[in-house]
Amino acid sequence: MADYDAIVIGAGLGGLTTASLLAKNGFKTLILEQSDIIGGCCSTYETNGYKFDVGASIVEILHPMDRFFELMGKKREDFIELVPCDPIYSFITPEGDRFSYPTDIDETTKVIESIAPEDVEGWKKFSGLGFEMIDKMMDAMMLSPMKTLPEAMSMVIKNPDAMRFLPMLMRTHQAVTRKYYKNPIIQSSVAFQSYFAGAPPELGSGIFGFIALTEHMGIYYPRGGMISIPEGMRQAGEEHGLEVRTGQKVEKILVRDRTAGGVLLEDGTEITSRIVISNVNAKVAYLKMVGPENLPKWAVKAIDSYRHSMPCPMIYVGLDTRPDLEAHHTIVTGSIETMNDVWNNYYKRDLIPNNAMSLVCWPSEADPSLAPDGHHVLNFLCNAPAPYAPLGDNWDRIKDWYKEEAIKGLERHVLPGVRDHITYMEVSTPLDFERRLLSPQGSIYGLFSDMTSLALFRPHARSRAIKNLYLTGSSTHLGGGVPTTIASGIIASSYILKDRG
Amino acid sequence: MKNLKKVLGVAVLLGLAAAYLTADESTKRYLSHIGKQAPYLPYRYFI
Repeated sequence: MADYDAIVIGAGLGGLTTASLLAKNGFKTLILEQSDIIGGCCSTYETNGYKFDVGASIVEILHPMDRFFELMGKKREDFIELVPCDPIYSFITPEGDRFSYPTDIDETTKVIESIAPEDVEGWKKFSGLGFEMIDKMMDAMMLSPMKTLPEAMSMVIKNPDAMRFLPMLMRTHQAVTRKYYKNPIIQSSVAFQSYFAGAPPELGSGIFGFIALTEHMGIYYPRGGMISIPEGMRQAGEEHGLEVRTGQKVEKILVRDRTAGGVLLEDGTEITSRIVISNVNAKVAYLKMVGPENLPKWAVKAIDSYRHSMPCPMIYVGLDTRPDLEAHHTIVTGSIETMNDVWNNYYKRDLIPNNAMSLVCWPSEADPSLAPDGHHVLNFLCNAPAPYAPLGDNWDRIKDWYKEEAIKGLERHVLPGVRDHITYMEVSTPLDFERRLLSPQGSIYGLFSDMTSLALFRPHARSRAIKNLYLTGSSTHLGGGVPTTIASGIIASSYILKDRG
Repeated sequence: MKNLKKVLGVAVLLGLAAAYLTADESTKRYLSHIGKQAPYLPYRYFI
């Protein structure tokens, strides 16, 4: 008899979602998390009196999270307090001009009209189309499996409007942006989200164009830091007997006759289970934990062919003053051409970009408890994406240099004089992400997300190579992000419950 | 019939080549990227 009904490897949002739902449905479930804190990319660490979010910095599209708590028989509000953030973004152009997009659509229309009256019509058309799609297809898009042709056809039959939006999936983010907007400043303000999916505008799917709209449904920061989300989910799961162990690294998935039956920990302990759910990167799960010797050749070829999503250094800063910012997120924009240039002429050549593109997150505005009185915290990415192996060097050696360049960039483009107010600063490089989160090459969104790696072509939540093995998290449909990884957990658990009754 | 299939096949290939050669640089990079990934799609569908 197995030790557990289900073992989940990794306490990221996908793993916590799957595990909690299984526990709710009577499965004796164990989560094994290799680090000392849960949440994966959606967690927070405390140092020097400050709390810094490791990766994820905001939550939007609440639907999957709310559905999770509904399926648990709970209300999200009883576990997680979300602070609304408005405006959704503040932008700084390469010329130094600043503007913001409020949450309110009509107010955003006025902002666009003040910059580019010629793009108001495009904005109204795109937002009209987008909100219609979101309204009609939220469940279908986010919570329906889309891995097989029958599943995709079933989704389309139940949602015939889906066919109207199929062209967007097939086109690039750049093409969709240019179809609706002509002004380069407006284009850049809606195109940068392709990098949220880890791809430049010329490669990312046009469907990511809707991210710019979903943000107008509201963006939120969880009080206490991003870790409040996994903690709330954990609490909900533990009420149904979910067991979570941290500091437990899984070395192997036990496989016999192409069937998963448990795990082997780094310390040599074996724990058996009827099913195993992986919330780690799919390439790590299949190629290291299962091992190519246990996989059919076609599966090895498939999983090996995926590229990792981009790495990105994250800088954490404590300040002894309130920064001169307007929004939770400030974006230093670059044109679509610049965004593509960063990818093609720097990232792909293992060079660190030298442009100004950056994202500055100011979470202590929404939640002052993240810093001592009068102090503030910033998380920011700059010169992103950055290569995993900078040409001729490695991140451990250039970390201090990069820190200095990051501060110079922050002073030059966003916060002049900020250096005099920094009380703490640290950089998490791609190597640090790889060590801390076991994220291969420091990839922050799991696998690369383009048309050839999404939906039908993304690793299945129910493994077809190994029986009793399931996958969840950013390597599966819909990719990386807070709502999408929670949705992946709902999808994985639905497969398991269907298979196991 | 066999000849017709050959002719159609060549016509499709020529059409794709013409589309690629007349595209802008960004589109060429996109098509090149898709082309490199295309052989893996059947394997990725099944994983």
